[in-house]
Amino acid sequence: MSNNTAADIRRQVERFLPKVLKPSRYIGSEWNVMKKDWSKTDVQMVFAFPDVYEVGMSHLGTRILYHLVNSFPEFLCERVFTPWVDMEKELRDREIPLYALESFKPVKEFDVVGFTLQYEMSFTNILNMLDLAGIPMRIEDRGPEDPWVIAGGPCAYNPEPLVGFIDFFLIGESEEQLPEVLRLVGEQKKNPVSRKEFLKKVAQVQGVYVPEFYHITYKEDGRIEKIEAEEGFPALVEKAIVPDLDQAYYPTNPVVPYLEIVHDRMMLEVMRGCSRGCRFCQAGMIYRPVRERSPETLLRQTEELVRATGYDQIALTSLSTGDYSCIQPVIHGILEKHGEEGVGVSLPSLRVDSFDVDLAETVQKARKSGMTFAPEAGSQRLRDVINKGVEEQNLLEAAEAAFKKGWSTIKLYFMVGLPTETQEDIDGIVDLAKKVANLGTKLGRRNITVTISTSVFVPKSHTPFQWEPQEAGSSVELKQRYLREKLRDRRLKYNYHDMSTSYLEAVFAKGDRKLAQLLEWAVKHGCRFDGWSDQFKEDVWMEGFKELGIDPHFYANRAIDYDDVLPWEHIGSGVSKQFLIEEHHRALQEAKTIDCRHNDCTGCGVCPSRGVQIELKG
Amino acid sequence: MRLRIAYTKIEDARYIAHLDLTRVFERAIRRSGIHMSYSEGFNPRPKISFGFALAVGTEGEREYVDVELRQDMDLGEVLARVQEQLPPGIRLLQGRAMDPGAKSLMAVLNAASYRIRVPMALPIQEERLQEAVGAWLGREHVTYSRYSKKGPTDKDIRPWVKHLEGKIQGDEVLFDLEVEMGNSGSVRPEEVLASLRELENLPIELDELQVIRTGVHVSYEGGKSSPIEMA
Repeated sequence: MSNNTAADIRRQVERFLPKVLKPSRYIGSEWNVMKKDWSKTDVQMVFAFPDVYEVGMSHLGTRILYHLVNSFPEFLCERVFTPWVDMEKELRDREIPLYALESFKPVKEFDVVGFTLQYEMSFTNILNMLDLAGIPMRIEDRGPEDPWVIAGGPCAYNPEPLVGFIDFFLIGESEEQLPEVLRLVGEQKKNPVSRKEFLKKVAQVQGVYVPEFYHITYKEDGRIEKIEAEEGFPALVEKAIVPDLDQAYYPTNPVVPYLEIVHDRMMLEVMRGCSRGCRFCQAGMIYRPVRERSPETLLRQTEELVRATGYDQIALTSLSTGDYSCIQPVIHGILEKHGEEGVGVSLPSLRVDSFDVDLAETVQKARKSGMTFAPEAGSQRLRDVINKGVEEQNLLEAAEAAFKKGWSTIKLYFMVGLPTETQEDIDGIVDLAKKVANLGTKLGRRNITVTISTSVFVPKSHTPFQWEPQEAGSSVELKQRYLREKLRDRRLKYNYHDMSTSYLEAVFAKGDRKLAQLLEWAVKHGCRFDGWSDQFKEDVWMEGFKELGIDPHFYANRAIDYDDVLPWEHIGSGVSKQFLIEEHHRALQEAKTIDCRHNDCTGCGVCPSRGVQIELKG
Repeated sequence: MRLRIAYTKIEDARYIAHLDLTRVFERAIRRSGIHMSYSEGFNPRPKISFGFALAVGTEGEREYVDVELRQDMDLGEVLARVQEQLPPGIRLLQGRAMDPGAKSLMAVLNAASYRIRVPMALPIQEERLQEAVGAWLGREHVTYSRYSKKGPTDKDIRPWVKHLEGKIQGDEVLFDLEVEMGNSGSVRPEEVLASLRELENLPIELDELQVIRTGVHVSYEGGKSSPIEMA
């Protein structure tokens, strides 16, 4: 490679930048960007998001950790996103290494490269980014001058397919854990000890998982025999938790991008965790317990956000914002104070049963776009199986109210391939869609659209459905075709997720270490941006499975026994395995489990085992 | 109160797409605490409007924007407060409170001038350069093929070019170009140079071309003026 100083990289990139799509993805001089002096900081980290800029910048965790690390005078944090395929080609053709946006310095020069694992289909982008950075993909091929490659985020709860590429994983919430890790990296820079000694120290930090010291043995049929930790490393790596969310760090001066990003607005994190207990939902399990922020804190943060960003929209985010106990006072407080300046509130992730259409009307005055409901399953029976406590009556009432208030588009989200699903449940989707459309027609609304979207159920680790197989692709596709046929109505629009992507997602969601070689193979054969349908190369993946003798069905379509050792058995979310087994039983018995936030404890285990508790502010 | 403001769009700001520029100004003004006027309707938008789009990557030394504020304010104060909130590369140069009946930028602007710097592919003598420019300007029609998804379309680009001048500086050629712009279209500086290379065999390296838009104007028979004067 030629000369790779920051100035060289910038000069070279500027030559072709106008020719690539959306060049402002790659310049990093946005409002509120943090450009710190390298010589005045001890540890330099680059936060790497394995997808395009617009997706990564929309991610709240990225915003929090970027500003959190920079809030320490001794640390510096820059950003890098996956260059889109046109940019990648330019970088490769000209042998320009992947660079960080703030300084244009090569990613390779940082002490720490931290990836966030938001979805399995971004795994190939991680390896590709390492390659673009000139960092060997495999740990054993790296030298002491290479950065520590670390990763966290929801997919770190089953990190095994990435073992061999990532030095260590950060399980759980990073607000306290990451600065502690960076402090140890700084110590290591000053007074280096052996790799193992260093990793041993890092492993003492809550939630840090160093895979090379965990040894896996397999049975002849490919199942895991046992997972053994070397001495000095915890047998069960338990997630890090922020006990007091109200006091936790939260940036109110986030970077304001030039180009329009996916969620182009301020974000106010009203609470963390969800105790509804939907049995398919990994987030609902791993982010327990529920912790709310106080209205006072939120209103102060809103004020600061408005001043620092100039956005005119604020989203109240969480896993289920309608459940936030102070939702009314917070919304009214925001509108009272900032409505005059044209600031509006948006409420993503509302549930039908917590849904108050009046509330939606208050906040969505301006944009009568669409109202989204997620019943997830078409029949009451199946909704009970998945513990989605939504009754048909709730949905119809909410839909009726929405039509009356002037909404003309209603979106309904469902999953197909859920455990125990039968033809009746699929017909239930059709029925529900038609009932909603008929309501609109009956109310005299013309030009209504009911959009029905189905995703394919992917069983995830750390959920009551982790033992369940994914339904065979051929049978899911039959259901999709059936729905397409039955949902032919000018008022209805049907969208569905591609089966082949969901299949691969299922393989990696429950995958083990043996998949690492497949990932590497796929990247070398051109796979990247697998979550983007125009980039996904199904045939290459299938060839890879064949070539390496890996059976995808073993991971995606096998029912796992309770006695089997799970590939993520040594990673602890705080929710006990016993609870998950009981929940799985209850699912099969079509028995609902209540929400523990208002009722009795359901015994998931997170509060007593971790000395934390549910924190409600209302 | 309506304001017309002249600003630069240089350095990193040249990569901001025209469509994103509205948001950049809107947010800067909101951060400055100055209240804008909004359009009526379901989806009120702040009243901010620009002139002809500047191609992404091209620097603009003097661009214009019209902004409507909810109440009258001191012009100097507005410029100072908004400037503080703008990203690097966007510098406010001048402002003027607009007359009530003043026409919008899109309605008055009809010309743009560019400075283009391009390396030589082969050595070019001054004489050869002047000959080529003269010959090109002497043509009554210049057909240029534009390629789009629908295939090539031929267009006469000569009528749009009002002024073209070249000079040699080291191993580069510097051009000053002025073109007419209108709702029916215009010509891009790259197209003029590509045509010059092709029709007059002028060996210039188009891949390495640097274009700066030096200004946009209101042009009329016998002269031109700045849109600030027309505000």
